Amino acid sequence: MQSKLEKVVAGLKTGPRFLKELREFDNLVKAIGECKSKAEEDRVISQELELLKQRLSDPKLDKSRGKEYMIRLMYCEILGHDASFAYVKALQFASDPNIHTKKAAYLALIQFLDYNNNLVLLLVNTLLLDMKSDNYLIVCTALIAATRLIGADLVNAVYPVVVERLRHPKEHVRKKAVMALHWFGQLDPRREGPLAGVELDKHFRTMLCDKISEHRLPKSYDYHRFPAPFIQIKLLKIVAALGAGDRAASDNMATVLLQTLRRANTSHTIGSAIIYECVRTITTIYPNPQLLAAAAESIATFLRSSSHNLRYVGIDALAGITALNPAAAAEHQVAVLDCLEDPDDTLKLKTLELLYKMTKANNIQVIVDKMMGYLSSCTDEHIRRDIVRKVCDLAERYAPSAAWFVTTISEVFRLGGEHVDEADAHRLVRLIAEQDAALHGSAVEAYLALLDAEIAAAHAAAAANAGAAALPAGAPRKKLPETILLVICWVLGEYGHLARRPPLAVLSRLAGILTAHKAASDRLRGCLLTALAKLAAHTGGAAGPVGQALLPQPHGGAGAQGGEAADLVHKCLNSQCLDLQQRAQELTALLGCPGPVLAAALPVDASCEEFSAADLAEVAALPFLEPHVARALATGAAPYLPPEARGGRAADEGSKGLRFEAYEPAPYAIPLAAASTSYAATGGHDSRIGSVTAAAGAAPPAGAAATAASAGAAPSSSSSSIEPQLMVKGGTGARKWGPAQYETDYGAAAASGHGAGMSGAAAPAAAPASRGTHSRSNSAASFSAQAASERERLAASLFGGAAGGSGGGAAPSSRQAAAAPPAGHRPVNGSAAAAAAPPRQATPPPQPNPMDLLLDLDVPAPAPQQWSAGAAAAPSGTGRPPAASGGDWMDSLMGPPVGGPLPAATSPLGAMGPVGGGGGSLLGPGIPNGGGGGGGPVPMGGVYGIQSPPMQQQQPGGMGMGMGLGMGLGMGATGVSMGGMSPPMMPQQQTPMQALGLGTPMGAGMGMGQVGYGVAAPQQQPHPQAWQHPHPQQAVMAGGAAAPPQLHHHHHHQPQQQVGRPADPFGDLLG
Amino acid sequence: MIKFMLMVNKQGQTRLAKYFAEFLTLDERRALEGEVVRKCLSRTDKQCSFYEHRQYKIVYRRYASLFFMIGVDDDENELAVLEFIHCFVEVLDKHFGQVCELDIMNEPEMVHYILDEMLVNGQIVDTNKANILEPVQLLEQAAA
Repeated sequence: MQSKLEKVVAGLKTGPRFLKELREFDNLVKAIGECKSKAEEDRVISQELELLKQRLSDPKLDKSRGKEYMIRLMYCEILGHDASFAYVKALQFASDPNIHTKKAAYLALIQFLDYNNNLVLLLVNTLLLDMKSDNYLIVCTALIAATRLIGADLVNAVYPVVVERLRHPKEHVRKKAVMALHWFGQLDPRREGPLAGVELDKHFRTMLCDKISEHRLPKSYDYHRFPAPFIQIKLLKIVAALGAGDRAASDNMATVLLQTLRRANTSHTIGSAIIYECVRTITTIYPNPQLLAAAAESIATFLRSSSHNLRYVGIDALAGITALNPAAAAEHQVAVLDCLEDPDDTLKLKTLELLYKMTKANNIQVIVDKMMGYLSSCTDEHIRRDIVRKVCDLAERYAPSAAWFVTTISEVFRLGGEHVDEADAHRLVRLIAEQDAALHGSAVEAYLALLDAEIAAAHAAAAANAGAAALPAGAPRKKLPETILLVICWVLGEYGHLARRPPLAVLSRLAGILTAHKAASDRLRGCLLTALAKLAAHTGGAAGPVGQALLPQPHGGAGAQGGEAADLVHKCLNSQCLDLQQRAQELTALLGCPGPVLAAALPVDASCEEFSAADLAEVAALPFLEPHVARALATGAAPYLPPEARGGRAADEGSKGLRFEAYEPAPYAIPLAAASTSYAATGGHDSRIGSVTAAAGAAPPAGAAATAASAGAAPSSSSSSIEPQLMVKGGTGARKWGPAQYETDYGAAAASGHGAGMSGAAAPAAAPASRGTHSRSNSAASFSAQAASERERLAASLFGGAAGGSGGGAAPSSRQAAAAPPAGHRPVNGSAAAAAAPPRQATPPPQPNPMDLLLDLDVPAPAPQQWSAGAAAAPSGTGRPPAASGGDWMDSLMGPPVGGPLPAATSPLGAMGPVGGGGGSLLGPGIPNGGGGGGGPVPMGGVYGIQSPPMQQQQPGGMGMGMGLGMGLGMGATGVSMGGMSPPMMPQQQTPMQALGLGTPMGAGMGMGQVGYGVAAPQQQPHPQAWQHPHPQQAVMAGGAAAPPQLHHHHHHQPQQQVGRPADPFGDLLG
Repeated sequence: MIKFMLMVNKQGQTRLAKYFAEFLTLDERRALEGEVVRKCLSRTDKQCSFYEHRQYKIVYRRYASLFFMIGVDDDENELAVLEFIHCFVEVLDKHFGQVCELDIMNEPEMVHYILDEMLVNGQIVDTNKANILEPVQLLEQAAA
């Protein structure tokens, strides 16, 4: 006030003009404050900017008012207007001797600039000077500016000065200097601070314990009578980071944590915040049963609270505990359900996240239903994307049946198709292809219904547009995204003949896609053409109704009913897009061929054709091309040169300087040719390894059989396919990926259900039985629930397995069950709970080493799961999925979410044998390729999984090394069985890696080493880009399908067609 | 880590915006603030004080006509941030004496200076009122 008054007095002295200028700031604030609308505000600011430009460019600028100008500029930027004209002025004011001006200028610069801005260079000198200032306020200001404006390239310029400020007598300065170093550390994590190498854990522990909890800091640090709560929380975070995965450190900090937890109370929010942080810490460090019990207790008070905020953190903390102890959520089912139905979006979302983490095979349907319900009502793009990702993830991991998977994923596409990863579409197509005709039929019907709705909507919209162009006809219905249309095209093409309606109706629906999507991409059109061709081929060829409709009739135009479809084919015959042109030409040419040729080119339901290793080897060698090549060579063609050689030659020529002869035509087909040759090479290589390992694995089946016999359920499967695994559809396993895990769950459940002494190898025989149990117990559960209210039913379905309602065979986690040592070492969360299982408890029952078991509990690996196939080849007589407990073995190799290899390395995990270990450790996000990832069916066998180091880094928390010697009952063979074929998506995840499985089946009394070794290269994927199949060839096969194209063409195309066929749903039509 | 702090009144007018260890262009800021504020103003008293927006979690608290919003990343303790807002308001109250929206509008630089003492680089560095206000008061004296 005083100062303002003086200013006014000074203004009066210098005259009225100055007085007017003096009031500019007040006027601005007043004007902004009185704004009623955004437009008005924008006008005020625009005027202000004009005024400021004028003032700041005035040569007689009043320096004493620098601070005011800076603040006015800040107002402009805060309200969203660009004030960049004044940045340089702000830089000038930063070197002003007046501390107010200087501080305001720094403040403005912090707001305006960031460390990428070049103007910062001009500031460095000023900054350095100010850091050395005598006035500690200025030093602080400069240090704060450094935390925002100094980038990686300037760190070295200021670093020494900042470090020197650490010894400043004033604590304010020291604090700011530390924070500046904090920022520098973020810029360059390799920069080591003075703390590097110090034993931190003890230091922070004492700090938390003595100084703070015991109230030894001065009273002024208290906040609502809690001693320095913010520091406590920070310390807890640090302690958590130090204790994560470090058992010794975690044990040491247990007492302190317990103390902190006890001292805090919920009388004030800040107390709850401390408790919440404690719980988070407890769930992060190496699990300690006592702490977990205390944490669960605290959570209960949160969840019972009426405050939304407390319930929110309660749910969050519960998710953390559930990860370690799945039974925990069951205790709070009422609270969880309340939160789920709460009108508050945030709370609902958080609860869905919790449900996502506790999803098991037995409750997936309810949970996915809930998520879909939310998805349909949610409009936030980020949240939608997240939910779509989660649903896809869950569906792949736990889908109870293929039909469910198909309907669920299709629904996801409908609701949130724009967010679905294309890889999911590939998986969907693959799954559909691997099923039987009944499912094909139902998929066709489902998609036809989708198209019906789509086309009806399009017509309605068109009618509305025609009627009243200006009238917006309600909310425009969302169109189906392209991804699902591609899937639909493929399904209708491949299985359209199974539809209940006549083929022509299917044809019109397919053609209707173009009516609804006028701007369909070439890719979609191409798939549509292929679908039409397939449909025609499957319904009687050229003479069939579809063929008739598609082909131009000799007597005048296209078939009457063909309409749009024939139109499409006709247009595409002359399309500028070569791919479309080729497909259309092929279509017409093929339809003109005799029936047998057509049937051979477009076979019915052959997308899952198998190729044996011998076939692949033959393909790799390309023997059928020999005569053609010989002929070409005889007529003077240059011999084939591999691309590398060609590259080398070109480089040589390039170095000689100018060349005058004409350049060779661009070798357009080279990349693909190279890919296919290397593909063949790896294929061959792999099959060789496959056979070697198969030979090596000839011994183990004996062990497996012995175990199985001891369990009294002799499986015939141990004698099943010992052939190399490179195939899409095995003779024994119905599915090789995704939901196969579901089956394996049951396999494992059976193993545990049967109790002692049963090895995983015995599972397949028992699986049907256990499935029976499951359905029985389920029906029992639903019977008892009939009387219950809706809510209780929901609770039962959500927590069913854990609540013991439908204990039976509903094994939520086969890892669990499989990991259970037979003799009563049932894991804590054994929600698998066969009838004989001990009752579940909230706290881990006292066991020799419960934590080791806990560690292996379902850690819901959030995004990255395992991509089980393609990583390793494995041997094994028992190897095929039915014998193994499947993909979950792979999971069991995944350690806790944090801590990397630690658990296996430092804990007696392996020695205890609960983990067993699984197949080759795999990496990369993806779906557990259940069947493919058949693991070692040995509950107590040791499996040593080794990964190549770079991969290990890639997924630090993801892999574990189970190591140990199996001892005790029920030993089986170790098998690391890998699915030969990984689905075609994400080839980059499958960079060559090696997995080495080594097992010691002790059941036979002798250590039997068995080594599986496999190399998978991305090219092994059948056709990594099924949809983006380029057709670079220019050769238009106008002369009919049999016309021999150029050599190059043959070279890469032939194998692609044959090999690619299984996975290339939208495969082309090459003959 | 705390990413940004906004002070917005009931009408959605921004009174203060400060970013920590988060570098956005003016347009990005404008878009982000618009969305965050819209979401916040549409919430009711019965809902909890947190919501998610893009990669941020927003913790907000309302004092009379003014909303204090803090955007944090995933591993921040929401309850603690909520209390931090209150702590900040207590400090403002102590400095301005019955702080109101107009105080903040008239002396935004002081609010910034106070915040600079409490939050640096997205980390809470001090909540001790005496420590926080010492340099600010010195500065005021220098003005006289």
